[in-house]
Amino acid sequence: MKDKVDGFMAELSLTLQVNGQIYPLTVSAERTLLDVLREDLGLVGAREGCGVGMCGACTVLLNDQPISSCLMLAAQAEGATITTVEGLETADGLHPVQQAFIDQAAFQCAYCTPGFILSAVALLKQQSQPDDQVIRDYLAGNLCRCGSYGNIFKAVKTFEELL
Amino acid sequence: MAVGKTIPVFDAIARVNGSIPYAANLKLPGMLVAKVLRSPLPHARIVGLNAAAAESLPGVAAVLTAADFESPDSPALYYGMSLKDQPIVAHEQVRYTGQPVALVAAESAERAEAALAQIEVDYEELPGVYDAVEARQPGAPVLHEAYPDNCFVHAKLRRGDLAAGLAEADDIIEETFTSPLAQHAALEPHVAAAQWQADRLIVWSATQSPYLVRQTLADIFGLPAGHVRVIVPPLGGGYGGKGHIRIEPMVAALARKTAGRPVKLILSRAEEFVTVTKHAATITIKTGFKRDGALTARQVTLYWNAGAYADVSPVLVPAGMVRSIGPYRIPAVWVDSYGVYTNLPPAGAFRGAMSSQAAWAYESHMDTIARQLGMDPLELRLKNLLRSGDLFATGETLHDLHFAECLEAVAEGIGWREARPADSGPVKRGRGLAVMMKSTSPTSRSECRLKIAENAQMTLFTSTVEMGQGAHTALAQIAAEAAGVAVEQVKVTGPDTAVTPFDSTTSASRSSGMMGSAILKAGAVLKEKLIEAGAPLLEYAPEELRAEAGYVFVAAQPDQRLSYAEILQRNGLSALEAAGEFATKGGLDPETGQGLSTPHWHQGAGACEVAVDTDTGKVTVLRYHAASFAGRVVNPQLAHLQNEGNVIFGLGPALLEEMVTDNGQIINTNLSDYQIPSFLDTPLELVSTLVESAAGEFHGIGEMTLPPVAPAIANAVFDAVGVRIRDLPMTPEKVLRALRQAEGE
Repeated sequence: MKDKVDGFMAELSLTLQVNGQIYPLTVSAERTLLDVLREDLGLVGAREGCGVGMCGACTVLLNDQPISSCLMLAAQAEGATITTVEGLETADGLHPVQQAFIDQAAFQCAYCTPGFILSAVALLKQQSQPDDQVIRDYLAGNLCRCGSYGNIFKAVKTFEELL
Repeated sequence: MAVGKTIPVFDAIARVNGSIPYAANLKLPGMLVAKVLRSPLPHARIVGLNAAAAESLPGVAAVLTAADFESPDSPALYYGMSLKDQPIVAHEQVRYTGQPVALVAAESAERAEAALAQIEVDYEELPGVYDAVEARQPGAPVLHEAYPDNCFVHAKLRRGDLAAGLAEADDIIEETFTSPLAQHAALEPHVAAAQWQADRLIVWSATQSPYLVRQTLADIFGLPAGHVRVIVPPLGGGYGGKGHIRIEPMVAALARKTAGRPVKLILSRAEEFVTVTKHAATITIKTGFKRDGALTARQVTLYWNAGAYADVSPVLVPAGMVRSIGPYRIPAVWVDSYGVYTNLPPAGAFRGAMSSQAAWAYESHMDTIARQLGMDPLELRLKNLLRSGDLFATGETLHDLHFAECLEAVAEGIGWREARPADSGPVKRGRGLAVMMKSTSPTSRSECRLKIAENAQMTLFTSTVEMGQGAHTALAQIAAEAAGVAVEQVKVTGPDTAVTPFDSTTSASRSSGMMGSAILKAGAVLKEKLIEAGAPLLEYAPEELRAEAGYVFVAAQPDQRLSYAEILQRNGLSALEAAGEFATKGGLDPETGQGLSTPHWHQGAGACEVAVDTDTGKVTVLRYHAASFAGRVVNPQLAHLQNEGNVIFGLGPALLEEMVTDNGQIINTNLSDYQIPSFLDTPLELVSTLVESAAGEFHGIGEMTLPPVAPAIANAVFDAVGVRIRDLPMTPEKVLRALRQAEGE
C-alpha cells in the first residue's frame, strides 16, 4: 500500500466478489465495505443506521456469516464471498425468506429489512428448525425501531414450517 | 370494498429486495457532499471565526458561515415555527453542544471533513443550564434576551374552582414524575439535498412535512412559495423527528453558494443526537378524590425542556397542557404548562407527543390513588372514565369515546380479574394497566387530487408521506372505495410540491382522518363527473345514475351501464380529475385553555404482566395487551402493526432510553450506549386489539398504544414488589435502589 498522498489515504486496487460477480475496484484504503457496496456498486440494500455495528442495518453475508459491513474495510473483504439482499432474488423470483416477509408483513419502514432477511437466511442455513429462543437470540443484533419484531418472528417461523 | 381489507403494501417487493429509494440513495450529476462543523460547547460567545483556509482547499466548493447572511440580499438568518429565534448557522453565540457553526460542500466526504478541520473558531465559554425547572429560577443563565426567565411559552387551563374541588376531597395526593431527554432514533438519519436553478430551489428531504419545509424555505430566501419544490421519498422511519424543518435551511443556504451544483447532507448517528430530541419533562400532579374514588379536582404543572430554540414547542406546550389531564371526569382542573429554554439541542414532536410524558404521570398517579383507597386500579378508572357526551376540561363536548372498551379489552386479555400467580424465589410477577387520551392537531388541512385515465387507471396525488405506516396503500384503499375503482388500479404519487397539493403534515396521527376525508370528497366529485359524462351516452338523467365498481349504471336497471374507461373514451377525454379538501379549525383561549383542542380524540390502553428480579432489579415484560380506538379500520394488518410497533417502541422510554448529559455534553451519542428495544426486549405475548366503529370516521392510529406502556409497566412493578418508580427509564439500578430503600423503611 502506498503512503498517504495529498493528506489522504492512498488508493488500493482490489477485487470483491459480490452476489456471484467479480468486481475489480480502485478504492481509498480507509473506505468501509458498506460504503463501497452502496456508492461504487450501487447495492443500496445495506444501509448505515449507527456506524458502530450495533443496529444491523448494514448486515451483509460474508462467507455465509452475517457481518456488520460498516465495521469492515472494503480491503478486508477481498477473497471472501459476499452476499447482499440484491443477491437473494433469482430469475425465478424472490427468495422464499423474502416472500415470507411479505406474507407476514414483517416490516414497516423497511430500513432494517434487508439486514433481517440476510440474518434469517444465514440462521436457516445453519439450522433448518431453530427453536424460538434461538431465533430471538440470533436476530437480537438487528434492530427495528418501527417494532415489527412480532411479524418478523412469524416470518421466520412460517418459513421454517414450510421446509 | 377496498376499505377494511388487509392487502400487502404496494411496494412490498421493494421493501424486501432493498430497492426503496430512500433519500440517502439520491445521486445527481455534480453532487457535492456536505459536512457540518458543530459547537463543542453548550453555551459560548463566538469571538472569532476564520474559514479562509478551508475555502481554499482543493475539492472544496463552498463554505457557509453566519457571514453569508450579512448583506441586504442575503437570506434571513433566523427561522422558527412561531418564534424565529433559531439561526441557520450560529451567529455570535452558540447555545448547545452540537449546534451548527459552519458547513462545507466538497467533492467527497474526506475532503469535506478535512476542510472542517481547517475552520478556526474561538469561543468564550458562558455558564449553561440544562434542567427546565432550574432554568426558570432567578439567577439561571439566560439563553435569549427576550425571555429573561427562559420561559418562552406558558399555556394555562382553568376550569372550575380548584380550591373548592380540593376542599371537597376526602384525600389529596401530589406526586412529581420525570421523563428524560430522548431520541426518536429512526434508523434512517435526517437526509436533505438542495439544488438551485436561478431563483428556483429544489429540495429532496426525508421530511414528514413537505409543505412546511417549502414555506419555511420560501420565507428564508424571500421567494414565492411556488419557486421552492420539495420532493419526499419514502422515509426510513420518522416518529415526529422529521416532522418539522430541520437540516433543510442549512443545506439550501450552502447550495446557494455552489453555482447550481446539488449538495447532499446525510447526518451521522452522533449528529442525530444533537439535532432534535424528545422533551424531558418534570410533571407535578395533584389530585383530590373522595373515599369512593370519584375525582374532585386535579392540578398539573408541567415543565418541558425545550432545548436552546423554541422550534415547535410553542405549539406542543399548549398541546401538552391538554394532554396532561387524562381521560377522566374531573370538575375542577387547573394546568400550567411551561416551555423553557436550556442549553441542549432543540426538542421537537415525538411519537405520542407530550402524551407519553403526561400519561407516565397521570396513569402512574392513578394507581397511587387506587392503592391509597384500597381500590382495584381498573375499577377506579372505570368509575371516572370520560364517556361520549361528557364535557372535557377544555369545555368541548366529547364524542366517539371508547376508553372503557379499550381498557376492558386489555384487562380481559391480561386476565386482570383472574387470580395472581404465586411467586417463590427472587422473581416476583405483577400486573398493571393504563389508558390514555391524546388530541391531534386542532387546525390543519389536507388536499388531494384524483385522476382517472382512459384506461381506468386512477392516480391519487397526495402529499402524505410514506414512512412505513403504509399510508400510501391505506389511502389508495380509501380512494378506490371513494371512486368505485378496484384498488389494483390505483397508483399513488407524491409527495412533490410541484405536483401534489397541500397537506399540513404527516404527523399527529392525522392522515387517515384528514387526508382520508379529503379523498372521500374527491372520490364523490369524481363519481359525479363520471356520471355527468356518462349520462348523455346512457341517455338517462344524472340523478338516475350511480357509479360503483368501475361502472356508471342506471339505478333502476343496473345492466344498463358503461365502464369508466368507455365513458372517457367515448367522450374523447384522456382523463377526468377531481380535487378534495378537508380542514379543521380549533384553538384555545390563552388564559383559560377553553375552546376546541382537537377534531377527535385518540384513545389507547395497555395492560401487562411483568417479572421483577429482586436480585438484579431487572424488569421483564412477559405479556402485553394493547388496544386502541381505530374508528373505521382501513387495513387491519397495517393497523395491528401500528399497535404492536407502538408497544415495542414504548418499551424504550419505559425501560432503556435516556440521553445522558454531563455539563451540557451528551455522552451517549451512539446506539450502543443509548439502547433501543431489540428482539430480546419483546414480550413473549404481545396482543393487539382494534376497537372499531365500522360506521365511524377514519381515525389515525400511529401513536395510541405508546403512551400507556411506561405507566402500565410501572404499575405492574408496583403490583409485583410494592415500589413506585417516578423517573424514567425504569433501569435495574433504579428498581434495586427503590427496593433497598423500601426494605430500609
